[in-house]
Amino acid sequence: MTRRDALPVNRVVPALSLAAAAAWLALASVSVAPNRIVPGTAYAASELLGWPLAGVACLPLLGLAALAWRPHRGRLRLALALNLLLLMALPAWVALAGALRLDPDQPQARLGLGPAVWLLLFCLVLLTIELRTRLALPAWSGWLLPVPILGAWVLAAPWLGSLALWQEYRGRSGQFAEALLDHLLLVGSAVGASLVLGAAIALAMRRDARLERLGFTLLNFLQTIPSLALFGLLLAPLAWLSARLDWLAALGVSGIGWAPAFLALLGYSLLPMVRNTFVALAEVDPGVLESARGMGMGPGQVFWQVRLPLALPVVLEGVRITTVQAIGLTAVAALIGAGGLGTFIFQGLGQAAMDLVLLGALPILAMALVADALLGALTRRLDHRTALRQGVTP
Amino acid sequence: MIELLGVTKRFGEETAVDAISLTVEKGELCALVGTSGCGKSTTLRMINRLIEHDGGEIHIDGQPIREFDGRLLRRRIGYAIQSTGLFPHWTVARNIGLVPRLLKWPKARVRARVEELMALLGLPVEQFADKYPEQLSGGQAQRVGVARALAADPDILLMDEPFGALDPITRETLQVELRELQARLHKTIVFVTHDMDEALALADRLAVMRAGRIVQQGTPLALLREPADDFVASLLGGDERGLKEAAITRVGERMLPLSPRLLPQARVHRDATLRQALSVMFREHADRLAVVDDEAMAVGELSLRRLVGAGRDE
Repeated sequence: MTRRDALPVNRVVPALSLAAAAAWLALASVSVAPNRIVPGTAYAASELLGWPLAGVACLPLLGLAALAWRPHRGRLRLALALNLLLLMALPAWVALAGALRLDPDQPQARLGLGPAVWLLLFCLVLLTIELRTRLALPAWSGWLLPVPILGAWVLAAPWLGSLALWQEYRGRSGQFAEALLDHLLLVGSAVGASLVLGAAIALAMRRDARLERLGFTLLNFLQTIPSLALFGLLLAPLAWLSARLDWLAALGVSGIGWAPAFLALLGYSLLPMVRNTFVALAEVDPGVLESARGMGMGPGQVFWQVRLPLALPVVLEGVRITTVQAIGLTAVAALIGAGGLGTFIFQGLGQAAMDLVLLGALPILAMALVADALLGALTRRLDHRTALRQGVTP
Repeated sequence: MIELLGVTKRFGEETAVDAISLTVEKGELCALVGTSGCGKSTTLRMINRLIEHDGGEIHIDGQPIREFDGRLLRRRIGYAIQSTGLFPHWTVARNIGLVPRLLKWPKARVRARVEELMALLGLPVEQFADKYPEQLSGGQAQRVGVARALAADPDILLMDEPFGALDPITRETLQVELRELQARLHKTIVFVTHDMDEALALADRLAVMRAGRIVQQGTPLALLREPADDFVASLLGGDERGLKEAAITRVGERMLPLSPRLLPQARVHRDATLRQALSVMFREHADRLAVVDDEAMAVGELSLRRLVGAGRDE
């Protein structure tokens, strides 16, 4: 070990590993229910394995804490590897717990995920992020690290057939694909339309100060209406319109369904989009624009070659915020029959079937995370300052 | 040659520039000086039509500038402002090549010209071509700004406080470089500054502006010796005006040839300013200095009486 590799004492990793170990020992890992209706019986690791074995099984977590206490790069790398292994092993543990407690004579029996599993997942993911930051791993590692984990989870899938989540999915795989597609289409079209419309509004607002005040007042007001109320407010006028105009009805526009959902999403998306685009365009250094004109660039050249490229990172930031927000809001749109993954959430709530709620909620969460990461990466890629920081010359 | 004939600019009720007339000869560096808001920047920006003048006429080489397309005119005129004017998302090479690209020069010619200019301004190509403006020091960024202004080899250069944001040492270095550059290139330069020392050091002609009018114009020496009014006198440094004059006069102009008398110990370079010579006298408690050349060989002598111009030595 060289002095250069020595890092300051790390308290985050030990704290997270100990929290994970405590969750493992104290909380239920799985719950087993004989069928969909009856609430399940929860089992903690100690009940499944017995105290001695459950204690031995938390040794890797204690090891993680020990490795990070007086860290240097070698130990932290080891900790990261151990951490990844634990994440990969998590579904195997659920499968093992199922095998221990499920009665083979009851094919309807369902295996639910307990709080211990969720907390372990949460702590281990945070640990990965923390270790990655400590080791100052390059940006691409963020895309590489999930690969072995997801791979291991897919490999464990055949043994997880009795998982309640999986059973809910198997009964609705067709519906699920349709809901996923509806969700993506609604988000995509709302964000796409708000980008075009938002850019147009922002440009118009830049030309006219009165329009700017009016625009922001209106958009801010729109943002304060609760989403459910906005869906409700759109119901009557759209129903009236589609009853009057045949071509609208032919398009499938009505008081419920995709049309009010799309309009409401568009309304909510406009504020962050317009605000970011407006601020981005306005905040470009006036000295740079002045010299661009002074060099003999025309208005179009100044806009496309100077103003827009310099504003783009902030505009894309607006797209990112809008997209993540729209992915969440679209869940509510299920209430007015717009489809999407929210359908499962509200069905599940109605039937008190938490696993069905999860079937809707987890993909929404994953979608939001992926959209956030992808758009974040795109923003960094288009920002010339990223190249500066990494010392790369494009 | 740039001629301003009774040029006026109004912003609403306010008259920013009031019927000014000014001629900048070819190859001359004319400094516009004055306090903030006196209309000097506005005047500069009317010359390349970033701002349109309301009254009077501006001629470049005898032709009124209204006859040109504004964009084409600006591509013919170099323009350098404080270092903020560089495009932060473009590399140094791309920034410098801007105007040649706007003029649709072939790629190879643009590249050759960029490399030529970087060499001219002491920016090694391999070290700086791919850097971004944020990676440069203030002085380097300003050199890039000047290189960009010179890119299409314009006859006219407009500079708006180009060294305003720099520390005093870098500013002085760049002033010296600009003077050397100008000695080789003979551009017609209009230079806006509020720093009187900078104006005195660089300008062939000074135009002092106040409230939109030119109060006085002439050579630096003429203004220093006979300021038109108290405003010009105070802008030129009030009682320190003598030192300013000393700062733009070379020792070589006042020294006397070597005499049989013993040469004093204290010495000063022939190209030093009288102000520096005075400083040496003050520091060395000497009223006579030996004047030396680059090889430290004595070439003359300078007495305090001679320095202050109180007639010849006896």
